[in-house]
Amino acid sequence: MMDLFSELFDMFDGMDMFSTQPQKVSYGSACPVCGHTWNDFTRTGRFGCGECYKTFRNGAAQVIRQTQSGDHTGKIPSKYGTEIRARRHLEELKRQLKAAVGKEDYETAAKLHAEIKSIEGGASK
Amino acid sequence: MIWYNDLNDGIVISTRIRLARNIDKTPFPAALDDKKRVEVTKKLFDSVLESNSALAKDFKSYDLDKLKKADKISMLEEHLISPQMVEGKGHSVLVNKDKTMSIMFMEEDHIRLQVIMGGYCLDEAYDAADKVDDVIEESLTYAFDEKFGYLTACPTNAGTGLRASVMMHLPGLTMTGNIGRVLQSVSGVGIAVRGLYGEGTNAEGCMYQISNQITMGLSEREIIEKLRTVVNKISDMEKQAREALSQKHRAELEDKLWRSYGVLKCARSVTSAEAKTMLSDVMLGQNMGIIKCDGKMTPLELMIKTAPSVIMEGKELTPAERDKKRAEMIRDNI
Ligand SMILES: [Zn+2]
Repeated sequence: MMDLFSELFDMFDGMDMFSTQPQKVSYGSACPVCGHTWNDFTRTGRFGCGECYKTFRNGAAQVIRQTQSGDHTGKIPSKYGTEIRARRHLEELKRQLKAAVGKEDYETAAKLHAEIKSIEGGASK
Repeated sequence: MIWYNDLNDGIVISTRIRLARNIDKTPFPAALDDKKRVEVTKKLFDSVLESNSALAKDFKSYDLDKLKKADKISMLEEHLISPQMVEGKGHSVLVNKDKTMSIMFMEEDHIRLQVIMGGYCLDEAYDAADKVDDVIEESLTYAFDEKFGYLTACPTNAGTGLRASVMMHLPGLTMTGNIGRVLQSVSGVGIAVRGLYGEGTNAEGCMYQISNQITMGLSEREIIEKLRTVVNKISDMEKQAREALSQKHRAELEDKLWRSYGVLKCARSVTSAEAKTMLSDVMLGQNMGIIKCDGKMTPLELMIKTAPSVIMEGKELTPAERDKKRAEMIRDNI
């Protein structure tokens, strides 16, 4: 099955229309790598392999949203590209900046601001 | 140095960092049959060791299928493998020389990299784990997704795959009746509290494992920082509770602690629950300068080594035989 509507579903998910009542998720097909079905997941709470996260993407996103506090912002394996890394680093700095401003720690904020500027400047050149 | 012999401040006993990792395009351990699991273990094992001479030099490998149960139990006691790995097939582990690091294969995830150190050292432990994680990654391709991070069997571990935990000894809060309230307030902020051997175990001997519950949406440093804030707070409260006990109930406290020491020094049969409670008293007495132990083992080490599964050393013992053996071990070593 081709995953044609995941973006659309993600958009709905983002709107939190069903935040009190989680949506019923169902999938017709099994994971191509491990053969597990969505039913297997709901029964055991465990995925069969990494590919399951792709196969059952919306379901996974929904489950994760209930227990976690957002998308991954941590470490990235070096094999998965320096690009994601650089983007993440920038996002992280921006979050730290926001936090520093919130705490009225302007010295840190200024340092972070300069660092962000230099990265963004370097990237556009 | 093995974590329970290392120095600690009497409140934060040990620090543990665990990273859960899986390899790409391969079913997770539970989705493999025994034969397949052994195959994948071998593949992981070889690629980690062969391509990384540094790891091969520092680490000793153990095929758990070939170890006696007693040996596995002693590795469990040292927290180098998990309870699931004592049973089951196809498990292997690499352990470094000073037993601060173990790389477990085929636990719930393909790889669980763990650093355990005595005392309170979250940053040091994380840095060590992070470095070895980088080395392992050179020879394998991890299952990773930009949105979901490191992919794990259980989605509650996905993202960073990081579980940072700190073992705390909290007799003051327990004796003053404040522990329930403290732990309840902590659970509201995404921090979990468990017993000595992790999930599903009781907090006997006033030992608590405090760990992060959320693994995704925060960076590794943020997770650690959050845990640290909570641990510091609990630690302060424990100090206050000990101070209050010492000022308002010194005589009763001393009596209680010395009585526990007396029983352990002389008893001929000690149950596991008794041992933990009384060793906890002796630990507190030692930390507060009330009791000076000069035995061969610290009360902490005795607590670890007299747990029911450990005391049996893989043999079949009746509860009465266990209690007798436990009493002897404590008498000889406290
Ligand atoms: Zn799968």
